Amino acid sequence: MDLWQLLLTLALAGSSDAFSGSEDSSKEPKFTKCRSPERETFSCHWTDAVYHGSKNLGPIQLFYTRRNTQEWTQEWKECPDYVSAGENSCYFNSSFTSIWIPYCIKLTSNGGTVDEKCFSVDEIVQPDPPIALNWTLLNVSLTGIHADIQVRWEAPPNADIQKGWMVLEYELQYKEVNETKWKMMDPILSTSVPVYSLKVDKEYEVRVRSKQRNSGNYGEFSEVLYVTLPQMSQFTCEEDFYFPWLLIIIFGIFGLTVMLFVFLFSKQQRIKMLILPPVPVPKIKGIDPDLFKEGKLEEVNTILAIHDSYKPEFHSDDSWVEFIELDIDEPDEKTEGSDTDRLLSSDHEKSHSNLGVKDGDSGRTSCCEPDILETDFNANDIHEGTSEVAQPQRLKGEADLLCLDQKNQNNSPYHDACPATQQPSVIQAEKNKPQPLPTEGAESTHQAAHIQLSNPSSLANNDFYAQVSDITPAGSVVLSPGQKNKAGMSQCDMHPEMVSLCQENFLMDNAYFCEADAKKCIPVAPHVKVESHIQPSFNQEDIYITTESLTTAAGRPGTAEHVPGSEMPVPDYTSIHIVQSPQGLILNATALPLPDKEFLSSCGYVSTDQLNKIMP
Amino acid sequence: MNIKGSPWKGSLLLLLVSNLLLCQSVAPLPICPGGAARCQVTLRDLFDRAVVLSHYIHNLSSEMFSEFDKRYTHGRGFITKAINSCHTSSLATPEDKEQAQQINQKDFLSLIVSILRSWNEPLYHLVTEVRGMQEAPEAILSKAVEIEEQTKRLLEGMELIVSQVHPETKENEIYPVWSGLSSLQMADEESRLSAYYNLLHCLRRDSHKIDNYLKLLKCRIIHNNNC
Repeated sequence: MDLWQLLLTLALAGSSDAFSGSEDSSKEPKFTKCRSPERETFSCHWTDAVYHGSKNLGPIQLFYTRRNTQEWTQEWKECPDYVSAGENSCYFNSSFTSIWIPYCIKLTSNGGTVDEKCFSVDEIVQPDPPIALNWTLLNVSLTGIHADIQVRWEAPPNADIQKGWMVLEYELQYKEVNETKWKMMDPILSTSVPVYSLKVDKEYEVRVRSKQRNSGNYGEFSEVLYVTLPQMSQFTCEEDFYFPWLLIIIFGIFGLTVMLFVFLFSKQQRIKMLILPPVPVPKIKGIDPDLFKEGKLEEVNTILAIHDSYKPEFHSDDSWVEFIELDIDEPDEKTEGSDTDRLLSSDHEKSHSNLGVKDGDSGRTSCCEPDILETDFNANDIHEGTSEVAQPQRLKGEADLLCLDQKNQNNSPYHDACPATQQPSVIQAEKNKPQPLPTEGAESTHQAAHIQLSNPSSLANNDFYAQVSDITPAGSVVLSPGQKNKAGMSQCDMHPEMVSLCQENFLMDNAYFCEADAKKCIPVAPHVKVESHIQPSFNQEDIYITTESLTTAAGRPGTAEHVPGSEMPVPDYTSIHIVQSPQGLILNATALPLPDKEFLSSCGYVSTDQLNKIMP
Repeated sequence: MNIKGSPWKGSLLLLLVSNLLLCQSVAPLPICPGGAARCQVTLRDLFDRAVVLSHYIHNLSSEMFSEFDKRYTHGRGFITKAINSCHTSSLATPEDKEQAQQINQKDFLSLIVSILRSWNEPLYHLVTEVRGMQEAPEAILSKAVEIEEQTKRLLEGMELIVSQVHPETKENEIYPVWSGLSSLQMADEESRLSAYYNLLHCLRRDSHKIDNYLKLLKCRIIHNNNC
């Protein structure tokens, strides 16, 4: 029992704050407050017992104990003074008060403990209020509106300040008389403090309270001190004048904004240029800037190809390729003013002799293919721009060009001349009439053959040049990659008739053969690999066989429908054997293993052997 | 020998005046490092600084105890286990104002010095142990370090004051010894926390005592009971 009490008592000894006020949840007496005003005595108060019932618990008693140096004294002593502190209180005078020793008190009624509390005296110190408040005027402002005062007071008399037993700090509060909220100042250690900037025409209230410096709580407030400041001036001045910085700043910003907008929206370009210089954008005259965006370099290249000074960059590896300037002059068409016109305006009758051999002294190796093809290109470019629609047409034209069947041959049965005469017309037709890719090339070519130039002038004014990179033994012209058409055209394989005609008509005046034809006629299926999207089959969208294609083709046995697989080394150069002006050139084929049955379909160039075979 | 005889009176007065003159001509300096025999700092300044230090130490101790309690032991009933008293309880310290007024000045000073000396070692071990704790609480550790340092300075100052007020006092090295290191290092967490709680509680109480005693002494010696 004792140990239990001891433990319970010790459990409450850790409480640091003075026990003050308790909820009146029960009707039993409880400690309300214990207080020591000067650290020499203390007193404890409790609530009075309220009993509704008839049961009376008897007189209430208070017992206390305090912990001595080594252990708790188990004995509980009764309160020494029930009177001095008033009703329901216990007063401990200085002989019972020890500072650094914890106390425990309990309230009993009829022997039963009603309430208990433990503390040390320092925790419950609450000094008395200061006394003798007074104030003096320090000074008055120049305007006579504000004044400073010094407030003085004295420490509570029972706090032993002189001996240093207590060290107090004070808190001053003041307010205007008709205000409700007190203004607080920071705690101070001295007993006087200045209060600044009080308005002269107002009346103030001042009060002070004290607290022990390190522990305890604030005591009660002192009496209120009323401060009435004497009025120095008869009239009240207006409020302090302050420079209207804010207005100036606002108006300044507003004015600047207005000026800025005037400049921005004014027509004065000079001023506008000064304030907002234009940002240069990438621009080349004549070309839509949209083309400079990603992925459209091909169109740009094709556009720029018009200008002969422009070299597309993927020509860089073909440094050995020379630009061959083909200049076809037709005396009949000189009035047209351009080679293209001359080429294209010639009809079938003149086609044989006009084309291809006029300038035998030019450095070209091909009589007419590049010209025609270039014409085709440029003409298309002129008229239809770089639209995708045009390209299929053009390609179609090329295809027909390349894959001219024997029907065209009928018109001009010659073995070594370029059938270029027919081709321009074909091209013309193709250009002028957008035609769907015919599944039967014969029709288109037939049509094309009969279609006259409808608009030669539209093709005028453009000299075109092709860069020939190679000429295949098969007779195809290999042009530089820049001239290739991207548009998909599988025109070559649209000419099934040509397949059958291939062998018979090798003597046709086909200057050009599409890859498909060549594949069929040649015992090899060249593997064209000019672009990344090339299919294994020879049916390319590319009209021209590039150097690479030929070289790769040479090493790859194809799967041509009609051509048995056999290797064919493709020479890059072919020497001119015979110059049969004006019919054309005969080139020497180098080391071409030509089977007897098959031979190169006659393009404009036939090897000597072939020639011997063909011609008796 | 009658010290109060007139010739002695005059020489004493002369000595006192010369001392005062010598002391007053010197601006306040920090407490002399190394504890010189005759320092140039006035007694008033010494006491002022001592009171400032003791007040500061007590504030730190209170805060440290509050933080420790809040963090580790609040509501866990450690006060019930803090039955062990402080190691300085053996000292006969005045417990109220009358007792403080009855004790004589010299004994009072040596009492203060003893308390300060007895806390040297506990503070050192406190710092070491807290620093070695897992997740050492920075707030508590910093305060412990500060208390240890300021206590050393206060002890130096007190020794200077003693040497000035009572120069004939022999160095009394007797002070209560603290033996709670083993309890601080106990493996059981409850016991260890209880030991820490007790130590910090005692530190708070003793620092309050020192602060109170010094304020009393200052008013008594310097201001002649008229602070």
